[in-house]
Amino acid sequence: MGSGSIGSADMILNIGPQHPATHGVLRLRIVVDGERLVSADPVIGYMHRGAEKLFEVRDYRQIIVLANRHDWLSAFSNELGVVLAAEELLGMEIPERATWTRTLLAELQRTLSHLVFLGSYPLELGAITPTFFAFHEREAIQAVLEELSGGRLHYMFNRVGGLKDDHPAGWLDRVTKAVADVRAGLADIEGLLMTNEILKARTVGVGVLSPELIKAYGVTGPIARASGVDVDLRRDAPYLAYGELFGEGGPGRVVTRTGGDAYARLSCLFEQTYNSLDIADACVARLSEMPRGPINQRLPKVLKVPEGETYAVVENSLGQNGYFLVSRGDKTPWRMKLRTASFNNIGVLVEMLPGNLVSDMVSIMGSMFFVVGDVDK
Amino acid sequence: MSERGFLPGVFKGLGITMKTMARPAVTHEYPDARPDLPPRSRGVIALVEENCTSCMLCARECPDWCIYIEGHKETIPATTPGGRERQRNVLDRFAIDYALCMYCGICVEVCPFDALYWSPQFEYAEFDIQDLLHEKERLGQWVQTVPVPPALDERAPDAAEVVSANKPPRVPRPAAAAGDATGAVSAAGEAPVRRERPAGGDRPARAERPAPEAAAGAPTDATTDAATPATRDAEPAAPPEPPEPAVPAEPPVAPEEETS
Repeated sequence: MGSGSIGSADMILNIGPQHPATHGVLRLRIVVDGERLVSADPVIGYMHRGAEKLFEVRDYRQIIVLANRHDWLSAFSNELGVVLAAEELLGMEIPERATWTRTLLAELQRTLSHLVFLGSYPLELGAITPTFFAFHEREAIQAVLEELSGGRLHYMFNRVGGLKDDHPAGWLDRVTKAVADVRAGLADIEGLLMTNEILKARTVGVGVLSPELIKAYGVTGPIARASGVDVDLRRDAPYLAYGELFGEGGPGRVVTRTGGDAYARLSCLFEQTYNSLDIADACVARLSEMPRGPINQRLPKVLKVPEGETYAVVENSLGQNGYFLVSRGDKTPWRMKLRTASFNNIGVLVEMLPGNLVSDMVSIMGSMFFVVGDVDK
Repeated sequence: MSERGFLPGVFKGLGITMKTMARPAVTHEYPDARPDLPPRSRGVIALVEENCTSCMLCARECPDWCIYIEGHKETIPATTPGGRERQRNVLDRFAIDYALCMYCGICVEVCPFDALYWSPQFEYAEFDIQDLLHEKERLGQWVQTVPVPPALDERAPDAAEVVSANKPPRVPRPAAAAGDATGAVSAAGEAPVRRERPAGGDRPARAERPAPEAAAGAPTDATTDAATPATRDAEPAAPPEPPEPAVPAEPPVAPEEETS
C-alpha cells in the first residue's frame, strides 16, 4: 500500500496537542508510510480537569456549574443530565412549564452546537465563509438564551426541580423569530456546502464508518446515525417532553443516512439542525397555550438526595451523555460518573484512520464532531 | 465533478456572497457601538454594602471560593436602662476575585439580604491579574449599573418579591393587644423574639395561629389586601397571621449549617 516506501522507514508524527486541525488539545500519534497512515493513536488527557472528583465535594447546585463545562458547546444538555439524575433519586415531579422550557432550551442548544460544527468543519477543509454564516445564525439563538439565562455559553439555568427563572415577557415571540431567522440562514449555509464540488470531493467516500465498528466502540449521536445506526434516545428512551414530540404526529424525526462517510455525517448534522428548529417551534407553541404555573419547585436550603443510585442518560448534541449518580444521602453525591459521547467517538479513530492519506486525516477527524473537554472531562 | 473543470458549486457560492454583500453589516464596532445586553446578563457582581450582614453564605456556597469576607462583632449598648446589649456584625472586607469567578451566580442567588446583584457591565479587563480582585469599594460602584429585572411572562406566577410585598402587614398578637401599654413595646420588638424561638421562645403563641385556609386565602386577592388590615384590627378574635415560609424553614437549617 505504501506509495513512497522506496527505501524509507515509517515515520512517526505528532499531530497536536496544539495543532489547528485538531480543534482543541487532542493529540494524535500517527505512523505514516509516505502519504499513507499506517496507524493512528489518539493521546488524550491534556485537558483532564478531574470533573468527576470535583463533583464529590460539591452540592447539586454547584455541580451544575462544573457539569456544564465538560462539553462547552452543549452546556444545557450537560446540566440536564445532572438534574435529571438528582430528580429521579428524589422522586421529584417537575412542573409542566419547566419540562417544556427545558426541552425547548435543549433543542435550541443542540442547534447552537450543530452550527459550530457546520461552520468549523468546512473551515478545517479550507472554506472560511461558512464559519461566518454559522456564527451569524448562532448569534440569533444566543441572544434569546442570554436574555433568558444571562449566560451565552454556560447557562447555569437548570436547578433541581425546574429552572432558575421564568421567561421574560415576550420571550417566546423572540424565540419564534430567532428560530425562523436561523432556518432561513441555514438554507444559505447548506446551499454553500452540500452541493459544492470541492467539499464533495473531500468528503464523499472518505472515512467510511461501518455499523459494526460503531457498535463495537459505542459511537453514538449524529455520527452513528450517518452510518444507518438508527438510535436516538429522544425517541428510544424519552425524557423531558420528547415522548410526545417524537410520538405519533410529533415534529421529532430520527435523522439517518446510509453512506457512513464524512459527507453523510455533515448532511445528517444539517437535517438534524432543521429538525431541532421544528421541535423548538412545537415547544414554543405548546408553552404559549399553557396555563399560568410555576417553572421550578421550592427547595429546602440544604438539598439532600436520598440514598440510592441511578443512571440518567440524555441525547446530547454529539451523542449519548450518561450521568451515573450514587448518593449516600448527603448533600453531595458519593460518586458521579460521566459517560461522554466524544470519548467513544474519538476512540474509533484508531480503526478509521489507518489506510487513509494524511490529507484525508483532517477531513475524517473534523467529521467526527467532538469536543476535547468532553473527551477528557 | 471537478474532472469536468466546471464547478457550479463555486458559482452558487459566489451568488450567495453577492446576495450577502448587499446586506448591512451584522458586526458591531465594539468600542464605538456598545452592545445592548439583556438585564439578566451576568457581567459583574455588585455589592450593596449596607445590606450585607457578613453571614458568609455566599462565600461558603461559591463553588471555587473566590469571595473573601472579613468582619468583626461590635457590641451596641442597651438603648433603654436595664435593656440588653446587642451584638452586630460589621463588614470589614468583602472582595470577589474575578480571576477565579466562574460567573455562576450562586452567591447572588443565596444572598438572603439582597446584598448582591448581577450587572451586565463587563468592561473591567486588567493588565495585571491581581487587579481583578475587586474590594468592596469597587464592588459598590457597580451598583449604579444594575438594571431593573425584566418583566415576567404573563404565564409566570408572581415573583417572590411581589408575593411577599402583597402579604398583609403583621398585626399585634392578641396577648399583646389585650395587655397594657408595655404590651405594645414587646409587640414592636417581635422580630428578635421570634428568632430565638428554637431556644424555647413563645411556643404557646404558635398554637393560636388561625386555620391554614384563613392564611392561604389572604394573599389571593392582592388588590384588596392593602385595605383589609385596618378592618381586621377591629376584630382581635381572629388576627390574620400571614403565612410565613421563611420562619418555619429556618429551625431545621440552622443546626445543619453549624455542623457543616
